Amino acid sequence: MQTGKFQRLILHIDADAFFASVEQGFNPLLRGKPVIVGGRENQRGVVHTASYEARACGIYTGMALGQVRSQCPEAVFLKGNYEHYRAVSRVFQEVYLRYTPAVEFTSLDDAYLDMTGAQHLYPSPEWVAKAITTEVFAKTGVGLSVGIGSSKLIARIASGLKKPRGMVHVPAGEERSFLAGLPVDVLPGIGRGAKDKLTDLHIFKVKELAALPRIVLEQLFGKNGVKLWELANGYDERPVQRRIIPGQISRETSFEEDTGDITIIKGALQYLTERIAKKLREQDLAGRTLSVKIRYSDFRRNAKSRSLNSPTNNGSEMYHQAFQLFEEICLRRIRLRHVGVSISNIEPLNYQSFLFNDKSRQEALNRAVDDIRDRFGFMAMLPADNLELKRKYRMEPHGYILHNPALTR
Amino acid sequence: MTFEDIFESIEVISHFKEGSLKPLRFKWNGRVYKVRQMNGHWVSHQGYNKQYHFSVISDSSDYFELLFDSSDFEWQVARVCLGG
Repeated sequence: MQTGKFQRLILHIDADAFFASVEQGFNPLLRGKPVIVGGRENQRGVVHTASYEARACGIYTGMALGQVRSQCPEAVFLKGNYEHYRAVSRVFQEVYLRYTPAVEFTSLDDAYLDMTGAQHLYPSPEWVAKAITTEVFAKTGVGLSVGIGSSKLIARIASGLKKPRGMVHVPAGEERSFLAGLPVDVLPGIGRGAKDKLTDLHIFKVKELAALPRIVLEQLFGKNGVKLWELANGYDERPVQRRIIPGQISRETSFEEDTGDITIIKGALQYLTERIAKKLREQDLAGRTLSVKIRYSDFRRNAKSRSLNSPTNNGSEMYHQAFQLFEEICLRRIRLRHVGVSISNIEPLNYQSFLFNDKSRQEALNRAVDDIRDRFGFMAMLPADNLELKRKYRMEPHGYILHNPALTR
Repeated sequence: MTFEDIFESIEVISHFKEGSLKPLRFKWNGRVYKVRQMNGHWVSHQGYNKQYHFSVISDSSDYFELLFDSSDFEWQVARVCLGG
């Protein structure tokens, strides 16, 4: 609900089953067939995206690939190609930015468009939504669902209501009635734990949540309770930000086969931290808290985090910390199937704080490495340990094609 | 229907016009295929170089993903669809 002078107008645009839609859009042989992106049927791993035809057979994201065939004999399995999806996402961006400069890209396939200042240029928000979805479909074959509302919350929920290729417009002033009948878990911040708590209180719908006194939610969920109460009542003033600082950047991979080979594990950790460091430097960001997680071949997991003395985007510093963490958590003599590294507490790079220390040489080196990679591709320059991965993975100029190519970036 | 990664070099007859590139025929495994239908194309960036990907259907009704690498001007069959 908007209290300011101008009524905000936000579009949330979300691609339907994005990876599978891209594959179907670029290959007519796949249209109308149940498409699974994530890997081969005999490969370990899970479904990353299932087309709507596959979903109709009961296939869902996160399902083990090995289970798919029994439920959906016609399924077509694809490994996927992240570079392809990124190229298609760039087409989306070009189209969106022609309608408004205020676009927040939250992932490859969804974005918020703030049309508040541009709405006088077009006949109606529905007209804009139709024009965008038609153009994107013509160029890529990918269907989009659009939600239109006065806030990011309303637009996001609306875009999910009529998938695929749906459009839902919630007029200003009708936010409360729109939310009232929806289940509580449509609200961001309500996960399984929070939903269970509310179920215990016999609260199932947003209107029941909205009717609670604010202080009750605060007592139940702490600071998040206040936010939740506001969202349940339709208050969401979050702006559409052209640049968002991610809460976390993570890179992880499953090994093709379980491994206890420390050179492969070190190579993977170093490669993953290098990719995170590059991502941070691309966006002039640095992160303070590093986490490593592992999964053993018997599926037991372990993870550990550590805060660094100062924020960093230096790959070698991150790798040394990551390897220390790995040594602290990898105590069982069992092979590993999965490793992951992530960095959180991300903040914009503050050059001022680094003026009088010895980091400038390392920064100059990183800049030189980035320049070389910009010109010749990421793999033009790698720490030597990374080359161990060549024994296991296909190497392309932009990186190794890891276990799940759909997610390899 | 399964898809196979191939990444083999091929010979291609292509058409360059007004900044765009279009494969017309290609020779793979000793056989010449005519491009009957272009499903779409996309570009991936490898540093300063670009790779142009083309999703095509041949006159034999087979699906191919062809790839033109601007760094060495080489064409490859990147992916094929086996079975239908």
